[in-house]
Amino acid sequence: MADAATAVAATEMTVEMIKASQIGMKALGAGLAVGLTGIATGIAEMAVGSAAVGATAENKDVFGLVLLLTVIPETIVIFGLVVSLLLLF
Amino acid sequence: MLTPEGMTRVLIAAPKSQMEPVIREIYRQNLFHIEEFVEKDRKEYEGYRIGTPLPQANETSRELLRLRGITNAFMIREDEEGNAGDRQKTEHLAGLIEKELPSLEKDVEDLLARRTHLDTQIKDYEQKIEGLKPFQDVPLDLELLRGYRSFSVFCGYISRELSLDVPHEIYTTDSKKAKLIILVVSNNDRSAAEQALADAQFQAVPVPEEEGLAKTRIGYYESQLLSVKGELEEINRRLDEIKKEHKGLFLACNELLTADIEMAEAPLRFATIGESFIVEGWVPTTELEKFRQGIHYATGGKVYVYELDPTEVEDVAPTEYHNVGFAKPSELLMDTYSRPKYSELDPTLLISIIFPIFFGIILGDVGYGILLLVFSLALRKFLPGGDGRKLLDVGRNAGISSIIFGILYSECFGFALPWSPILFSRHLNIGSHASGHGPDVTSLMMMAIWIGILQITLGRILGIINHARQDHGSHKTKTILANLGWIMVLWGILCMLWAAFPLPLMPDFTGLLPIVMGLNISSIIGIVLILLGIVFIARESALEIVELPTILSHVLSYARLVGVGLSSVAIAMVVNFIAIELIIEPQLESLTAFGTIIIIMGALVFVIGHLLNTILGVLGGGLQSLRLQYVEFFTKFYKGGGKKYAPFGMKKRFTED
Repeated sequence: MADAATAVAATEMTVEMIKASQIGMKALGAGLAVGLTGIATGIAEMAVGSAAVGATAENKDVFGLVLLLTVIPETIVIFGLVVSLLLLF
Repeated sequence: MLTPEGMTRVLIAAPKSQMEPVIREIYRQNLFHIEEFVEKDRKEYEGYRIGTPLPQANETSRELLRLRGITNAFMIREDEEGNAGDRQKTEHLAGLIEKELPSLEKDVEDLLARRTHLDTQIKDYEQKIEGLKPFQDVPLDLELLRGYRSFSVFCGYISRELSLDVPHEIYTTDSKKAKLIILVVSNNDRSAAEQALADAQFQAVPVPEEEGLAKTRIGYYESQLLSVKGELEEINRRLDEIKKEHKGLFLACNELLTADIEMAEAPLRFATIGESFIVEGWVPTTELEKFRQGIHYATGGKVYVYELDPTEVEDVAPTEYHNVGFAKPSELLMDTYSRPKYSELDPTLLISIIFPIFFGIILGDVGYGILLLVFSLALRKFLPGGDGRKLLDVGRNAGISSIIFGILYSECFGFALPWSPILFSRHLNIGSHASGHGPDVTSLMMMAIWIGILQITLGRILGIINHARQDHGSHKTKTILANLGWIMVLWGILCMLWAAFPLPLMPDFTGLLPIVMGLNISSIIGIVLILLGIVFIARESALEIVELPTILSHVLSYARLVGVGLSSVAIAMVVNFIAIELIIEPQLESLTAFGTIIIIMGALVFVIGHLLNTILGVLGGGLQSLRLQYVEFFTKFYKGGGKKYAPFGMKKRFTED
């Protein structure tokens, strides 16, 4: 019975459906690429950011430098964004 | 242009009798960066001692301390701008400090002391009134409520009904908040009364140590309070008058005394021996002749000024930027990272050109550019000088660049401008108006990669120049070749890529005929470049080989120019879609009173959304393009860590000679 059902489903898949599902998969992949790298960046910036606030409290002069150190892990999510843009367009 | 201001090492040697004129002259010129003398630091200075401050140092610092006390009380800020017209002559001021200032200081101190006294008096009266308030409706003299031997008096508030079965006399007032009772019982019944009061949740109120009716006492204290407050106002008015009238004098005195102290304490940085002293320091080479003549003139030629050979001295010269006006605001960005060393190339000019361009590539939108430009120009009025002004000027340049790129991208607040994009399209397919093929991501990416390749190559070339200037001998050759090696590996990889894949916006060498082993000329050149490059890098330090993958990651990092930019475009278009298509347009079809409110809300969404996106875009664009300079560009050639050129002297704002 189950074999018959899949066989029926397979014959009913049209080219349009396959194309649509591919577009969906692409969108899913793009979303995962941005989302997961975003989480990774968040985790990395958590450590840098808290240390940066501590350092700034000790010495205000380092503010500019630690602000930059804090954005360094953003590279991860930007690569994710680049990958997802290339997937989508 | 790309180097800091040239400095010459100068040594001044003179008899101690000339110490004061020398100090005065170098302070006046404000050119000489003193190298502090440290005892037992250098061999040639054996036997030398640190100098002692000039005799007037003590007296002056005491005077300054008193003055600072007053300026603090007046809350006069030292960073206020002085008017050129109001400047005081120094000699005139010195007379004023001796004659007028002490009496003025005494007046102010007396007034301040009186003010403190009145403040405590006011508090005292207010407390007394507060204590009397509960009794203001009691028709009994206050002295009748205390001092009994055989009776106990309880005064206070109760919040429940009081039931007492011992003989007593009670007075009750009914105010809105709580019930005040005055209860008198015989001492024998005291414990019973206390028990009953506790049951009624009694809160005792102390009887004020006053005589007569509470109401009259309150009236008396209130009239006292009024007169004290009047006096206080009068004192404040007089202090204000003094502040207004003598503010310029205070600021000028403060400046003069600060200068006197700095001069009096200067010998602490000199080396002295016997009856003479020596001081070393740096003077900008262009000002050297002027400096020398000034010293000669001030001391009648009794002082020896000697130029030291820069290769002889161990210390490094302080760094003073030497930039064209256009690049000056970017000095702030350099100082945030680290001031260049004296011997190093100063990349301020490059940053002042590249940073706004990168910012524009990221936030290329006419609307946001205009917002940033207006904001930077409007705030200039409130920031007369210093780092804040520099930051605003950087913002202004970034805003202009953003407008230019907005025109090239054909974008204004996420809408398309009437022409199609001159550069590459960044319009996303969001909303029902979306048409066309969406953003040209591949071309944009390739543009970003090209920018990365060029900037990193430029960084390495600057690295070669830096090493050629700073290093000596075989080390020099090695470091230069290593930097060349990095360039060769980068371009070698590119040659191989071009030979293998046809890439948009890049040369296509896939069609070239293979020569050996299926490799064409481009691949072979690529392989040779990579191998040679690796050899050059390894000759300087084998450990550097580990860093080879950074070539790829640093170049790819420039993709953020596109990624961050596109995300800001996406937010702008989504804001437009929500505000206009989802909220405003459906209401416009059939306008009702309620619909108008919805339209106003839609407009609010539009404004707030774009405001937020501007802030995000400016922060993101600024930080990301700055980061590309600091991490990807500077690591190739720049060390930093230079000393700031801080000449001995003061930029006078309130006084003149």
